[in-house]
Amino acid sequence: MNRFFGALVMACLVGVAARATNAEQIVVVSHGQANDPFWTVVKNAVEIAGRDMRVDVVYRAPETFDMVAMAQLIESAVQQEPDGLVVSIPDADALGDAIRKARAAGIPVVSMNSGGAVSADLGALFHVGQDEFDAGVGAGERMRQLGVRNLVCVNHEVGNVALDRRCDGVRRGFGAEVRVVPTPANTVDDVYAKVKATLQADPTIDGIVTLGASNAAEPTLKALRELGMLERVRLGTFDLSPRILTAIRDGEAAFAVDQQQFLQGYLPVVHLALYLRYQVLPGDDLATGPGFVTQENAAAVIDLSARGLR
Amino acid sequence: MGTALMEARAVGKSFDSGDVLVDVSLRVERGEVHCLLGDNGAGKSTLIKILCGVHAPSRGTLRFEGRDVVFASPREALDCGIAAVYQDLALLPLMSITRNFFLAREPVRGRGPFRRVDWRRARAVAQGALHDLGVDVRDPRRAVGTLSGGERQSLAIARAVHFGAKLLILDEPTAALGVVQTTRVLRMVRRLRDRGLGIVLITHNVRHACAVGDRFSVLDRGRLRGTFARDAIEVDALQDLMAGGQSVDAWTRELG
Amino acid sequence: MRPSEPADPGERPFATGSQPSAQGGSREIPHALVTRALRRPELGAVAGLAFVTVFFAFTARSEMFSLGGMVTFLEPSAQLGLLAVAAALLMIAGEFDLSIGSMIAFGGMLVGVPLVHWGWPLEAAVVFALALATAVGLLNGALVLRTRLPSFIVTLAALFILRGATLVGLKAATGGATQLRGIREAIPEGHWLMEVLAGHAFESGFAALAARGWIDTFKSGLPKVQGLPVEILWFVGCAVAATWVLRVTRFGNWIYAAGGDALAARAVGVPVARVKLTLFCVTACAGALLGVMNALDFGSTDAARGTQKEFEAIIAAVIGGCLLTGGYGSAVGAFFGAIIFGMVSIGISYTSIDQDLYKVFLGGMLLLAVVLNHVVRHRALGAR
Repeated sequence: MNRFFGALVMACLVGVAARATNAEQIVVVSHGQANDPFWTVVKNAVEIAGRDMRVDVVYRAPETFDMVAMAQLIESAVQQEPDGLVVSIPDADALGDAIRKARAAGIPVVSMNSGGAVSADLGALFHVGQDEFDAGVGAGERMRQLGVRNLVCVNHEVGNVALDRRCDGVRRGFGAEVRVVPTPANTVDDVYAKVKATLQADPTIDGIVTLGASNAAEPTLKALRELGMLERVRLGTFDLSPRILTAIRDGEAAFAVDQQQFLQGYLPVVHLALYLRYQVLPGDDLATGPGFVTQENAAAVIDLSARGLR
Repeated sequence: MGTALMEARAVGKSFDSGDVLVDVSLRVERGEVHCLLGDNGAGKSTLIKILCGVHAPSRGTLRFEGRDVVFASPREALDCGIAAVYQDLALLPLMSITRNFFLAREPVRGRGPFRRVDWRRARAVAQGALHDLGVDVRDPRRAVGTLSGGERQSLAIARAVHFGAKLLILDEPTAALGVVQTTRVLRMVRRLRDRGLGIVLITHNVRHACAVGDRFSVLDRGRLRGTFARDAIEVDALQDLMAGGQSVDAWTRELG
Repeated sequence: MRPSEPADPGERPFATGSQPSAQGGSREIPHALVTRALRRPELGAVAGLAFVTVFFAFTARSEMFSLGGMVTFLEPSAQLGLLAVAAALLMIAGEFDLSIGSMIAFGGMLVGVPLVHWGWPLEAAVVFALALATAVGLLNGALVLRTRLPSFIVTLAALFILRGATLVGLKAATGGATQLRGIREAIPEGHWLMEVLAGHAFESGFAALAARGWIDTFKSGLPKVQGLPVEILWFVGCAVAATWVLRVTRFGNWIYAAGGDALAARAVGVPVARVKLTLFCVTACAGALLGVMNALDFGSTDAARGTQKEFEAIIAAVIGGCLLTGGYGSAVGAFFGAIIFGMVSIGISYTSIDQDLYKVFLGGMLLLAVVLNHVVRHRALGAR
């Protein structure tokens, strides 16, 4: 009990002390929950950027994927008149009013991770993220370079516009027809079953691109292993997961497209600080991806991933 | 003597398990405490449930205030003026005395969606009704849960009487009470009798019965062993009858 | 001779409520008032709110308690409060509705799809959403009453069913997406129902105050508060209505009785089934109404709206003094409980406390509030 109260007192003191600095205040509001490993990287990057640039950074996110709560967090951030605001925009309608209010209040806003197409309309200075189409192009090109002839793109979440654009990009980068294989649902069992069936139906497939790591690439890997097709079929995926990284290191999967979300946390803070101090701004949106993890750099990435930095 | 307040004529009740009551006839007069005695399983509960409309008799008839009656539900019996107070008392311990007193009979004022309960008047009425029966409640806003067993019993009885009970049926009112509280409850019963109510009092406890009863009916395994006026029987004899005829001395000896 | 101690216990009528130290009329009255105040179910919630306010007064930036800052936490409080007040009523009647959170998403879909895809007018879409919500509430209630299963279980099943139905429905309507957009575009400008269900009230009043300099502005000149979010008015209105029902109507007495002991209540003539059915409809409508209001306010809805709100509503009601077992509680308490919740969940963003600690913080605050509640009530109900 006493230790609890001690911690409470410490928190109060920290709260009081933090107000005493006159460094710039930048608030980051994202839609990623605290226990999501993808967003932990972003949060760590934000904090590192804060230290590097000597600005006060605060990272806020709702507890679940809740657009209403996220809008309320943006509003409460705006009330405190920070010097800069960084937001992700998974739902432009829901968050639009809050972001416009921030702009009307004179707070510079930078968007990251999602909402690149709409952020300029809402008044953001620029967007930091991975363009899904461009990332797809990179993945498709890589598959072509690996000598793949018959490529399929597994879409595990039909209706997600971002994923659709990834497959479109793959088609462009590959330069030939790429079949999109939708799965009935986005559970690992459904993906596994669908991929297995697809491979058995068409033995000429020699390349698969999946649009997610733990939810799509891992069950695909399982299917390939069971069918004994690991040697013949190249697997490339978007996003990272520990198991996929290990598979790449061991040569079972070809590559992973890394949107390098670290940069989505780091760069907005840095550029806002530079803007506030020196009035300089990037001329265009910043692409954080695609970065590619291949057998060459997999080991290093695994290590960074364990530390929450990749 | 005039018409009895309530009369059961040759009432019998059978369930799937068998005959619970056979050929029971008794009368309850106005201004009388009629004690219903009997061992467990004698059929006392079933009989009073028939009297207050919970069950319909399989055989026989009921007469109330000189007319044959058939009750389809306890509500009908209640509307006639027959009220039962069971052992659980039907009181809500978390609610106040007033709210309990007027539950399902709240006095309302106003019209339409703005009907209000006049709790101030309700409090005064409840306090007054209780006072009439010798119960002084300083704060009717207290939760019933803070009252003692005897106070709760008195509240349940006072509620039944206030809302027009002519025949009051009490199921083991003193079973869970200590000596002092028992005395008070029995005193209230006597007061009600003096006002002209008819009271059926079920009890195990012959001494309590003898303290207030005017007449005693003994049930044994569904049958009526007899109805006796107060001066016509001794306490011990009653006890023997309740035990099924076997003398109390006999089985005391058996127990050694 | 002291009046509360009869010389002969046989002669005097017994008095209830005798206090050992009672020595006459004049000292009892203030004592009675204090005792009565201590007995109120809301007391714990008020104490909790005071505690939380003091905590944030010391640790949060001053903007939190400016007019604009208060609006930022009162708005989520109001949204939760609509649910909490309804949940409190049902809890007092002895039942739970765990589907209330899923109903938010369901209600959002029921108003969004007709507006955007079927071309219905706003009034029709809103009525549609509330009517179907009422039907779901009736179904929940009927199932609970008929099967005698705990309402916890029945409405937990409804939680999943409604959530799944929302997902399927949204995907079917939009052709595969889990978000439905374009709601605002489907409503004609200046529609009267939009004024009532979404946006801000008293905007011109606030603008006038800002012009006079009575409301702070941002550096850019924009006033910090443009108006009072409509949810706050609804919240206050519903809390007032629920309190009125509980304290002053027959139905309110029946709610307490149904929750305290349904059998005893029925024995005395209370229509317990009707009371519970009505309250299940109330909670369903509260959820749907909030879903509608969110959809109209934000112009979009998605399948994840309202996740976990059912638990938050129950927690707010419990902080507010409602017993989980039923029969005791108040709507005012749920009102304060919701404010505590909103204050704690948004207040942390006015401090420098790390976001990772949010759940620990929230849980700790809630635990404190509930313990305080319990201690206070234990003392109060136990005292004679």
